[in-house]
Amino acid sequence: MSKNLRVKTSKFVDETYRVSFKFNGSRYYGYKGDTLASALLANDIHLVGRSFKYHRPRGIMTSGSEEPNAIVQLHNNSDRTEPNVRATEIEIYEGLEASSQNCWPSVNFDIGGINNLLSPLLPAGFYYKTFMWPASFWEKYEYFIRKSAGLGKSPTTPDPDIYEHEYIHCDVLIVGAGISGIMAAKTAAKNGLKTLLVDEKPNLGGSTVYQNSEHFKINNQNSGSWLEKEINEIKKIDNLDIRIRTSVAAFHGYNFLLARENLTDHLPIEQRKNKTRQKLLKIRAKKVITASGSLERPLIFDNNDRPGILLSSAIKRYADLFGVACGEKNIFLTNNDSAYESAISLIQKGIKVEAIVDNREEIESKLLYEVEKNNIKVFKGFTIVNTNGYKKINKVSLMKLSKDGQKVIGSKINLSCDCLGVSGGWTPAVHLFTQSGGKLKFREEDQVFIPNKYSSEQISIGACNGDLTLEDIIENTPKYLKEFLNIKKTDYDNVEVFSSENKSKRNIWLLPSDKILGKTKSFVDYQNDATAKDIKLALREGFRSIEHVKRYTTTGMGTDQGKLGNMHALGIISETAGTKMGEHGTTTFRPPYTPLTFGTIVGRNVGEYFDVFRKTPMHEWHLKNKAEFENVGQWKRAWYYPKNNENMFEAVQRESKAARESAGILDASTLGKIDIQGTDASEFLNRVYTNAWSKLAVGKCRYGLMLNEDGMVYDDGVTTRLGENHYIMTTTTGGAANVLGKLEDYLQTEWPELDVYLTSVTDHFATISVCGPNSKKIISNVIPDLDLSDENFPHMSFKNAKIGKINCRVMRISFTGEHSYEINIQANYANSVWEKCMEVGKDFNITPYGTETMHLLRAEKGFIIVGQDTDATMTPIDLQMDWIVSKKKYDFIGKRSLYRSDTIKDDRKQLVGLLTDNPNEILEEGAQIVADVNKSPIEMLGHVTSSYYSPNLKKSIALGVVRGGKNMMGKKLIIPMENKTINVTVADPVFLDKENKRLNA
Amino acid sequence: MLNYNQSLPEKKLFQDLQISEITPIMKLIIRGKKREFFSAIGKSLNILLPVESNTSTQSQKLSALWLSPDEWMIFSNETSDKNSNYNETEELLIKNISSVNLGAVTDVTDQFVMINLKGDKAYKLFQTGSPFNFNDFQNKKGAVTQTIIAKVDVIIHNQDKNDVNLFVRRSFSEHLFSWMTDAASRL
Repeated sequence: MSKNLRVKTSKFVDETYRVSFKFNGSRYYGYKGDTLASALLANDIHLVGRSFKYHRPRGIMTSGSEEPNAIVQLHNNSDRTEPNVRATEIEIYEGLEASSQNCWPSVNFDIGGINNLLSPLLPAGFYYKTFMWPASFWEKYEYFIRKSAGLGKSPTTPDPDIYEHEYIHCDVLIVGAGISGIMAAKTAAKNGLKTLLVDEKPNLGGSTVYQNSEHFKINNQNSGSWLEKEINEIKKIDNLDIRIRTSVAAFHGYNFLLARENLTDHLPIEQRKNKTRQKLLKIRAKKVITASGSLERPLIFDNNDRPGILLSSAIKRYADLFGVACGEKNIFLTNNDSAYESAISLIQKGIKVEAIVDNREEIESKLLYEVEKNNIKVFKGFTIVNTNGYKKINKVSLMKLSKDGQKVIGSKINLSCDCLGVSGGWTPAVHLFTQSGGKLKFREEDQVFIPNKYSSEQISIGACNGDLTLEDIIENTPKYLKEFLNIKKTDYDNVEVFSSENKSKRNIWLLPSDKILGKTKSFVDYQNDATAKDIKLALREGFRSIEHVKRYTTTGMGTDQGKLGNMHALGIISETAGTKMGEHGTTTFRPPYTPLTFGTIVGRNVGEYFDVFRKTPMHEWHLKNKAEFENVGQWKRAWYYPKNNENMFEAVQRESKAARESAGILDASTLGKIDIQGTDASEFLNRVYTNAWSKLAVGKCRYGLMLNEDGMVYDDGVTTRLGENHYIMTTTTGGAANVLGKLEDYLQTEWPELDVYLTSVTDHFATISVCGPNSKKIISNVIPDLDLSDENFPHMSFKNAKIGKINCRVMRISFTGEHSYEINIQANYANSVWEKCMEVGKDFNITPYGTETMHLLRAEKGFIIVGQDTDATMTPIDLQMDWIVSKKKYDFIGKRSLYRSDTIKDDRKQLVGLLTDNPNEILEEGAQIVADVNKSPIEMLGHVTSSYYSPNLKKSIALGVVRGGKNMMGKKLIIPMENKTINVTVADPVFLDKENKRLNA
Repeated sequence: MLNYNQSLPEKKLFQDLQISEITPIMKLIIRGKKREFFSAIGKSLNILLPVESNTSTQSQKLSALWLSPDEWMIFSNETSDKNSNYNETEELLIKNISSVNLGAVTDVTDQFVMINLKGDKAYKLFQTGSPFNFNDFQNKKGAVTQTIIAKVDVIIHNQDKNDVNLFVRRSFSEHLFSWMTDAASRL
């Protein structure tokens, strides 16, 4: 039986362009411009999913982003799969594949439907009272609970699409391009303001643009035609940026908003390649005008959730915008005039309306008269008490309402139908307004929350501000715009409006039934299967706060965030508990307004752009020479250079040996370099380092230690005096930015009287370090004019030099303990110098080494690495570096803290060397150190901070921190590991060449 | 003879946008507060340092960007010889400024990579990665700002209409260039 549910041609859908798509494996056809929902309805498909808890058959309920039921999985089992997509939003494209969620094996026959029979056992909060016994069964319960949690399925392969961000600064942002939004956009833009207009739908004009009725006129034209003309006009305005398919997700403080612009989701997959799929717009607007409209309310009665029950405005939209009939025998249940608008649209299109059931008694409404004129029965003062039809509605039962609306009286009337439209009135969409910190007030006449106090330069206009009729919108909007935008007149000051609508409404939150509440299933939250019964249960169990009731019943916690049902929940709570709606307000609205994909949030920061990577000038050379890299802060540093399939251990052993036997070369460019100039430079250094600097001669280098104000070691490095008032300071790689920031901060806030200036030259100079017994020979070949004799160029001094025509600096600084030179050369010449060193050093087996070997070599000499052997809790005394703390200096950063009762204690953790009894046993960094394994609890004395196998000493060496370690020289300690215990002896942290003879070798 | 290896050898051309590194460009950071500092700069270089924040000035040979109340970047309007890194301007200012204790002069020629963007899509490109408001900036010749693009610190200088200079630390330059050319490909 194939029904023709397509009615008169609609100009919003292109009926010359047929599109094929698949739903649950079967192929269907629609037109370009259809959403998946409109196309399914045109194919007479209402059943699209099963509800979350009870697995009840559910159908399409709305035609917008507030959809609770028709959420589908797109492209299941592919890299483009996406769960919980609203069928009412996704526009169909050739090749679209969608499937129902939360059902197995199919939506038509779902085993989970048994939950519907078990429903008495599954009221709200049932999981707080179950799955507790026996306790040992929890992991079994958990397995099944996990399987039944959630709705759709997450993707399991990487997202193939590209996402971007865009920052937009504008004078005015208008959210929503319905009639009020269009009026605002034209007004703002024509007054020279840089304006951004966004709408979540693919067409502008909201619901007015397809209004085609004699009952709603503006300036004597159909309101729809009038608005269409306005839209055509604004499309031509230059300083107006219009973005469709753009949904505002969040309204943050100070008019910062996030919006998601959909660019390719409506295109066939082949057309999406290399295009941005979605953009996250980060908008900062001087003024925001929210024109987000309102959402229609359903009504709460027994079995109000069957497929075929839709919002009456959705039925109208499917007919007027998409040209689709939702049913051939339509009935409406309403408490206000809106359903009559929908009925009239259906009549105009030749779709049958059986009856209208109106909660209101006798009312004077032109719309009502028109409907009655068409021989449609209107049941006044009636309500629906039940519906039938498991997979599609086929019958409704009505009864008369008592005068006070609390009960039903009389006998039941049964009417057959295949579609029921419900209209419970309108809820202004105040989500964004409240997110931004706005405060609401409650309007009693039609039971709505509307904006009251704004928290920033913003206003709300139109339906979202409580102007729910065309007359109110046309009358009020120009007023608000003029005041807000500070202008004298708008194009809309004298517009004539005519509307047949009667504003009367009979609001009954929970419609009465002939059954007791416990025997009804009146859904308030469709997505989470929360019923009116559940809400009353929560109140009976003692929950009073609306936030508690929400969470206990999960009302409003689904992906639709309760857009349809939250007001009813609040209404039922206030009636039952006897509180006032205006007093308890609403639950907190949180972003995003509709779900955002992770891709959109992350933007382009994926893959190689996930994080920033800094590279040295020799990076390409390291790559070409097969270096493995490690991340040091934001830098990529060569870690080791494996040759002939070496593993790291083997490479490091080879590199370490070569550096001490002949020559090694290291890229040290990443260390921070700060140029210091000024007459107070020496004084400045005295204040920031622990040691003395005033007497350092020009041309000499000195190692310095930096403390924080708490006395803990924070950074270290060698600083060179280049001139009378000129130094260059080095810092650790990871600490460079922090040190510069801190020092600049001190100069600006603590010592503004000092004549010192700092400038970073970390990237300007590359640093090439050549070390080893043959380093002198290599350097002399690279810089032949430099006198490298010890008298002229002693250790810890610097020389200006020239390589070819290029000026550079050479320092004799050693972190390895070998005779060593560091060439500081301008970055763009560095690679060339590095290659020269390699070429010249070939005869000396010059061996490039990375950070791992560098760590090993310095450990052999007992040199600390800040951040490895220290952890911001070590003072210089703890590190056995008393020698570097000046006793004579009046003050330096951290000095006072070295004399606190805590920092002068004897038994603090102190740096020591550790030698294993078995020289081949290498300790694990981080391993705990104890004295006695038999004591219980075992007392931890410290831990291993650095550990290596030294090829030069042919044994394992380690540094560690041990409580009272200074006085434990020679003592035997124990390192308990998971499967064994290792014996160690406390030793001098300097393992090699204590006399430093190798420096001048 | 040493080889010269600039950070970004490739020029990228898109519709309405050209992105390339300009090098070698002599750059200095000068810092000072005293009145004598300003007059010495003026006399030595024939250029008035901009005192209004986020602005720049130009002479025939040099441009000066305001970076902070006591910090400017001076760079050459023309490229220099790759075969030598003798910095004449630096020598002059060492003589007239730092050695007479009027302020600090530091060569930062390779500290920053100068990327030039030509075309009317430059600001659209910046808007994919920078939160800065370029609405007024793009119409103000000589405007300077320090902001971030894709988490990387940059200095942006509006040289002329459809002609923007961007300075980024050399170590970040490859990452930023890759990110920008990727974003530009979809503008």
